[in-house]
Amino acid sequence: MTQLDRQGTSDPVAVPFTPGMRDNPEELALIPDEIAREHVVPPSDDPTPTEQFTEQWRNASYNCFSSGHKFCREVCPVTQVTRNESWTPTAFHANVVAMDKGELTIEDVAADYVNCTQCGACELRCPNSLFTGDFYRFRTRTVDVVKAVRAFAVDSGVHQPQWRTWNARTDERTHEPVLGDTPVSQDHVRDWSEGLDIPIGGETVLFVDCEAAFYRTSVPRAVAQVLQLAGYEFGLMGEQWCCGGPAAEMGYVDQAKRFAQHNLDNWRSTGTRRVLVLDPHDYISFTEDYPKYFGDDYDIEVVLVVELFAQLIREGRLTPSVPIERSITYHDPCRLNKRKGIWKEPREILRAIPGLDFKDVDRVTQWSYCSGGGGGLPVEKPDLTAAISANRIQKASALEVDTLVSACPWSERPLGEAGRSESIDVVDIHELLAESLGIVVGGSRGGADGADPSRVETANDEPVGKRGE
Amino acid sequence: MSDSPNSATNGRIGYRYAEQMTPPEPERVTDVAITTHPHVFEVDPRLMERWVLQQQFPNWDSLRIMNSRADHLAWMHRHFAYSVVTGSELLAEVEAESSSGPGGEGPTGV
Repeated sequence: MTQLDRQGTSDPVAVPFTPGMRDNPEELALIPDEIAREHVVPPSDDPTPTEQFTEQWRNASYNCFSSGHKFCREVCPVTQVTRNESWTPTAFHANVVAMDKGELTIEDVAADYVNCTQCGACELRCPNSLFTGDFYRFRTRTVDVVKAVRAFAVDSGVHQPQWRTWNARTDERTHEPVLGDTPVSQDHVRDWSEGLDIPIGGETVLFVDCEAAFYRTSVPRAVAQVLQLAGYEFGLMGEQWCCGGPAAEMGYVDQAKRFAQHNLDNWRSTGTRRVLVLDPHDYISFTEDYPKYFGDDYDIEVVLVVELFAQLIREGRLTPSVPIERSITYHDPCRLNKRKGIWKEPREILRAIPGLDFKDVDRVTQWSYCSGGGGGLPVEKPDLTAAISANRIQKASALEVDTLVSACPWSERPLGEAGRSESIDVVDIHELLAESLGIVVGGSRGGADGADPSRVETANDEPVGKRGE
Repeated sequence: MSDSPNSATNGRIGYRYAEQMTPPEPERVTDVAITTHPHVFEVDPRLMERWVLQQQFPNWDSLRIMNSRADHLAWMHRHFAYSVVTGSELLAEVEAESSSGPGGEGPTGV
């Protein structure tokens, strides 16, 4: 029997009521909670791995499956370019429901979950987040669901070939193999800082992601020199490993946790209390993954460099004065704009740079923009990343700009490659600010146009996922 | 609108775990709702203890959603202000076409 089946006017539930209200009839408290249906699959005393998995993610998945708004579709970068129903955020939740009911297995669906950049557009645009998520403290969790399914696949022995190779090499070298067949290693992780005289360790360290440390070295060089100009004290990590975020995104969670533990231990060994982060992906790792791994023991302050630079400009400690005659638009990195709500500070910086003709596109419109460079997509499906990048570049091209400015090194390689065909230069916001401060940045921008000849032997122009991994 | 995500940290930039995991002291606004951050209303947690449990929500996440909602509604208002034609405009257009069209017949079915 359900509450709706009750009869009679004396029944307290015959009249509509709001649970928890102070003036509810006292008899309501005597009525036990009931549900309208029996368990479709009775709980097992000895649950299978699938049952354990779906028990954990059932509510999150039904939150999507039972509402079916589908506002997620048009903001999803993969859906925009593929129109594949199996690769929509809706399908990612429906699959978990189907696994819960025993209709599908992880082997059936694991490959579908490759097709997500974890940009977060779907879960933010979903009314269950945007209009009620903060009220109920229960929001759509597509990114977490995708990460969990990928991890369940790996735990079940279902691997994606490129991801397995990528993470094996990362594990072996402690850094992502962003230079393809050219090895990366601990010995070279600080090569980008050559000549900058940066100490090791200290209360504040600058963490440089693998892409910036080995491929687009102009970004960390710009950041370090701007910090030095502002008189901001910082050092580099004693032994920096990959943040572990990409491994977590691709489902290799044990590896991600090992890397995280190493980095935390290393920070503590050098007395570090604050970590400066120039890469939005690292910022996600340090403010979402690490807190989950370490809980109350996580006592490291994490500062995003873009926010710091905006503050230094506000305080007058940085004053861009060299005019830069470019017509630009700004690409909101997904992990800053959609996943963290950080969009003002980059615009503050750009508006402080003289000479720029800034054709801005608002942050809400950009919920549906993406470079395609996240979530491991360029490793496993470089063609799909290229299609998403081309889509983003076309939007910039329509504004008749010559430069697309980003604040994410991982977006700049695919966007840069797509930009060549439209004659749009892709520049990092830190590089641009440094230039306007009169700094000669140096380093390599990775691609042929900005490569430093001294680094040619380590630079590689091929897309991340096309390196014969 | 939009307070910055840093409004929960008194304007200090940076992420600090303990700070993010400590929401402001709640204030009761009705029997079934509370407020924490300015402009953030939340269901009384008592009502989320059984069938669907609440998720872990650091402060930045509540503020991100609240700010994004405001930004999205403003975006929608702008969109409709420039993209949607009112019914009266449509009727006027139909009537104008009818009166100037062949035979000057009135609108049908309106």
